[in-house]
Amino acid sequence: MIAPQRLCVKFYFEELSVDVDTFIPVFHRWIREDVVSNEMLLDVADYKHILDGPAIFLIGHEADYVVDFTDGKPGLLYVRKRDAGPSLSDALGTTLTQALNGVKLAENDVELAGKLKLRTDGATIVLLDRLSYPNASSNGDGVSSAADAAQAQLAENLTALFGSDATLTRVANDEREPLTFELNAPSAPNVDTLLSQLESVN
Amino acid sequence: MSNIGWKDVLSDDMPVELAHEIDIFEGQMELMGQGKLDEKVFAETRLRRGVYGQRYDNGQRHDGFESRELAFEELERFKGPDTLWHAPGMQRIKVPSGGLTPKQLDVLAQVADEYSDGILHITTRQDIQLHFVHIEDTPDMMRRLASVGITTREACGNSVRNVTCCHLAGVCRTEAFDATPYSNAFADFLLGHDDVQDFGRKFKPAFSGCESEACGLVMMHDLGYLAQIQEVDGKPKRGFKVFVGGGLGTVPHQAKVLSEFTPEEEILPQAQAVSRVFARLGEKRNRNRARIKFLVAKVGIEEFRRLVEEERKTLPHDDRWTAYLDTLPHYEEKPTRPPTFLNGQVGSSEFNQWFETNVYSQRQDGYSVVTVNLPLGDLTSKQTWELADVARKYVGDNVRSTVEQNIVLRWVSDSDLPNLYEELKAIGLGDAGAGTIVDITACPGTDTCKLGIASSRGLAGELRTRLTVKSASLPDAIKDLKIKISGCFNSCGQHHVSDIGFFGNSRRSGNFKMPHFQVVLGGMWRENAGSYGLAVGAVPSKTVPEVVDVITNRYVEERSKGETFQEWIGRIGKKEARSMIQPFMKLPDFEQQPEFFSDWGDPRVFSLGDIGIGECAGEVVSLFSMEISPAESEAFEAQVALDENDPARADAMAYSSMVKAARALVRTQFLDVGDSPDRIVEEFKSRFFDTELFFDQYAKGKFGQYLLDRHNNPNPNPDNDSAHRLIEEALLFIEATHVCESKVGGNVLIEI
Ligand code: HEM
Ligand code: SF4
Repeated sequence: MIAPQRLCVKFYFEELSVDVDTFIPVFHRWIREDVVSNEMLLDVADYKHILDGPAIFLIGHEADYVVDFTDGKPGLLYVRKRDAGPSLSDALGTTLTQALNGVKLAENDVELAGKLKLRTDGATIVLLDRLSYPNASSNGDGVSSAADAAQAQLAENLTALFGSDATLTRVANDEREPLTFELNAPSAPNVDTLLSQLESVN
Repeated sequence: MSNIGWKDVLSDDMPVELAHEIDIFEGQMELMGQGKLDEKVFAETRLRRGVYGQRYDNGQRHDGFESRELAFEELERFKGPDTLWHAPGMQRIKVPSGGLTPKQLDVLAQVADEYSDGILHITTRQDIQLHFVHIEDTPDMMRRLASVGITTREACGNSVRNVTCCHLAGVCRTEAFDATPYSNAFADFLLGHDDVQDFGRKFKPAFSGCESEACGLVMMHDLGYLAQIQEVDGKPKRGFKVFVGGGLGTVPHQAKVLSEFTPEEEILPQAQAVSRVFARLGEKRNRNRARIKFLVAKVGIEEFRRLVEEERKTLPHDDRWTAYLDTLPHYEEKPTRPPTFLNGQVGSSEFNQWFETNVYSQRQDGYSVVTVNLPLGDLTSKQTWELADVARKYVGDNVRSTVEQNIVLRWVSDSDLPNLYEELKAIGLGDAGAGTIVDITACPGTDTCKLGIASSRGLAGELRTRLTVKSASLPDAIKDLKIKISGCFNSCGQHHVSDIGFFGNSRRSGNFKMPHFQVVLGGMWRENAGSYGLAVGAVPSKTVPEVVDVITNRYVEERSKGETFQEWIGRIGKKEARSMIQPFMKLPDFEQQPEFFSDWGDPRVFSLGDIGIGECAGEVVSLFSMEISPAESEAFEAQVALDENDPARADAMAYSSMVKAARALVRTQFLDVGDSPDRIVEEFKSRFFDTELFFDQYAKGKFGQYLLDRHNNPNPNPDNDSAHRLIEEALLFIEATHVCESKVGGNVLIEI
C-alpha cells in the first residue's frame, strides 16, 4: 500500500500548564538550534485566535508540529508532508518516530519541562489523501476498500508497537473528512521504549 | 491505484477549457524544471495562476540573531528570480463577487488540509488564500477547484484581479439594483481576454450598489462601478456611474469619474476599451508608476475619457457584450426556507449581543444576512465544511466572502437566527462584534508576505483580544470604529480607509531596529471608501494598544453630539492628532525595554533582513513571451502523448502548438486576430511568410511552411512516425517564431 500524500499523528496532553503563547519562543528556538536534525524547520505560525482548532504551528519542509486543540482535545499533532517513505508502513514508521521525537523534545525542553506531559496510550492517526485513501464507507460486499486495507495494515503495525491489546477504531464518518483512526492502547510503553522499538523495526 | 491521479478522476467534472489550461501550466512547470523557460516568464506565468511567492522563499531567514540559509533541496532550482522551487508559497484563489457555494467550500476545505496548513484565509478583496503550499501540488489543487467551477487564473500578476462586489448586493436596503450579475458577467468577460494580457501592472475592478455605503469601495479601485437608474425616454434605465484610477498603496488616489452614466449594455465594451488604452499607454518600465491611476493622472481624465471613447469605436463587435443581459430577468437567488419572523422572541444575552452586530435585516421581509466574524479572516478546514453544512441547512448557495475578511450567510429566515447562532457557536464561529472595533482587518504582513515590515496580524490578534475583553463596556462611539492594519506602506490591509489605520515601518534606536506602526487617522470606509486618512506619526509596535486607548478615550471625551471620528480628526487637525501620540514616540534603549525590539507574536529580535522581492507587480515580460510559453508547453505535451503511444493526440497538440506560436507572433502586430486557426494562419502567411520576415537565412521559408502544410493538409490517420515528425517540425517552428520576434522586435522584453 502506497504512502498517503500526508500522514498525521496526534498525541494528547496529559498535563499542560503553560499558556499556549509559550510555544512561540520555544518553536523559534527549535528552529535556531536545529533540534530536529533530519528535518528542516522553517517558521512559526500563530493561529491561537482560532477557537477549538490548531493554535501554534512549527512549520517545516518535511513536517509541521502543531499545538492543537481541535475537538477540545489538546495535543501535539505531527503532520508529515513529504519523504515519509514509499509504503504506508514506512510512512507510519517515519511519522511515529518523528512525532514521538517531537513529544520528547517538548517534554524535555528547558522552558516547558515539568509543565507538560503527553500520553502514549492513545492517539489519532489521519491519512490526508482523499485520492488514494478516500474516507468512503465499507461497501459491504466483501470487497475491502482502501480504507479497510489501510486499517488492517496500520492495526498490525501498531499492535506490534503499542501492545497486543491496542485497538484501532475508525472515526470521522463524513466523506469530506480524511480517513481517521483512533488508537487506544491501554498497555502502551513509554516514549523511549516506543522509540527504541521503532528504531529496531527500521 | 497509484497511477490514477486527480486529472483522471476529475476529467468529467472539470470544464474542458479550465482542465486544458491547468495541463498547460503543468507543462510549463515541467519545462521550468528542465531549465527551458526563462525565470521571469515562468514567474509571471505562475502569478497569473495565483501561485505566489512567500516569505523566506529566497532561502534566507533571520532567526533573531543572524540570517541563515534554509537548506532546501535542489538549491539551484528556481520558480522565479531569486525564488527557490521547493520553498513554500501562497495560493490565491479568485472568488468573483465573493460568491461561494457549500459545495465549493467543501472542496476548498479539502485542498487546504491536503496542500496547505489547513487554514483558509479570506482576503481584503474577497479572495481566499492558502499558505505554505508546494508548487508541485498546485496543478492537482487547481483541478480539484476546477471541478467545482473555481479558477485561480489571473488571481495575481499583471492582470485583471478578482472582481469584487458588495456582499449585500441583492438584499441591501439602499442599493439601486443588484450589481452581482453585472459583476459576474464582467469577471467572465475579462477573464483571460486577449486585451488584458499586456498590462504593466495589476488591475482591480469593483462593483457597488449604492453611493453612500462602503461595501463596494469603488473609489479606491482601478475601475469602479456604481449602480444607477436613470430615466431614459421616460423609462427607468439601468446603468453605472463609472470611476477610474483609484487605488491605495504608498500614494493613495481617489478614483475619477470616467462616465456619469454608462448604460448596462455598454459597460463591457467600455471596460474593454479602457483595458486597451491601459495596455497601450500605461507605464511598463517603472512598476511604481504603472497602475492605471498614474496614466489617468498623467494624461488627465478628459483626455483619458476621449482616448477610451475613440478606442471604443474601433472595437470589433462581440456578442458577449450584451448576451448576459438576456439572462438577467431570470437571475435570482433562492432562499431555502420561507420567510419567518422573530416576533420578539427573547434570546440569551449572548444571542442578543451577536444579533446586534452580526445580523443585517434584508430588504426582503423575514430574511436576514448573518456575518460570520472570522478572527483575522481565518478558518480551519474542519470549520469550513462544518460551515458548508450550516449553509446547506439554512441558506443553500447564498454564501459570500467580504472585504472585511468575513463570510456572510444571506437569506436566513429570521426565526432560524437563534438556532443558527447556536450552530455557529458550536463550530467556533459564533463571535459577535462583526463590523465593530474588534473586527480588525489585517494583511498577511510579516507572517507570510515577502514585503512585510511589521507584524500586522500579530498586532491585529493582540488588539482583538484586548478589545474583546472590554467590548461590553466600550461606549457606542468607540464600538463602531474600524481598525485596519497593513504590514507595510503597500496598503493591502486597506488602512487608508479606516478610522484608525496602521501600517508597518521601522525606526532605529541605538544599534537596533524597532518595529513601528505609522498611525493613520480619519479615513472613511463609508461612501465607497470616500476619503483617506491622515498619517500622523509612527509609534513602536508594542505601544499600539495604548495608543488606541488614548485616541479613543480622547474622542469619547471631546466629541460633540453626533460628531463622527473623521469629523473629529478633521476638527482637531493633524498637529493636535500628532500630539496625542507624541508621548509614545520616544524610543527606549534595548537594555531598558528589550521587548520593544521584537514584534507581536514574534519573539525574534526585529530585523528587516527577511524582506524579499515582492511579487505584487508581477514580472513585466512581453505579451509575446507570455503567449509563446503555452505553445511550448503544448509541444511538450505532444511529446508526452507520443510517449504514451497516442499519435492522434500528439499530432493534434503539435499542430495546436504551432498555431499558438503563430498567433503570439501575429499579435505583436495585430491584437484582434482572434482564435480561429484559419484566420491566424492567414494573417501569419500574409504578414510574416509572404513578406519573408519569417525566413531563415539558410532554411528560407522551410519552418513557416511546416505550419502551412499541416494546416492545409491535416493527416487523417497520424501514426507514431508522422506524429514524431510533426513534433520536430513544431519545435523548429516555435524556435523560428522566437527568432522572428526578436528580429522584428514586436514587443521588446522590458527589463525591470
Ligand atoms: C509592491 C507590492 C504590493 C503592493 C503595492 C500591494 C498593494 C495592494 C493593495 C493596495 C491592496 C488592497 C487594496 C485593494 O483592494 O486594492 C492589496 C491587496 C492584497 N495584497 Fe498586496 N500589494 C503588494 C504586494 C503584496 C504581497 C507581496 C502580498 C503577500 C503575499 C500581498 C498580499 C495582499 C493581499 C492578501 C491582498 C488582499 C487581496 C486580494 O487581492 O485578494 N500584497 N495589495
Ligand atoms: S501591506 Fe505590505 S506587508 Fe501587507 S501584504 Fe501588502 S505588501 Fe505585504
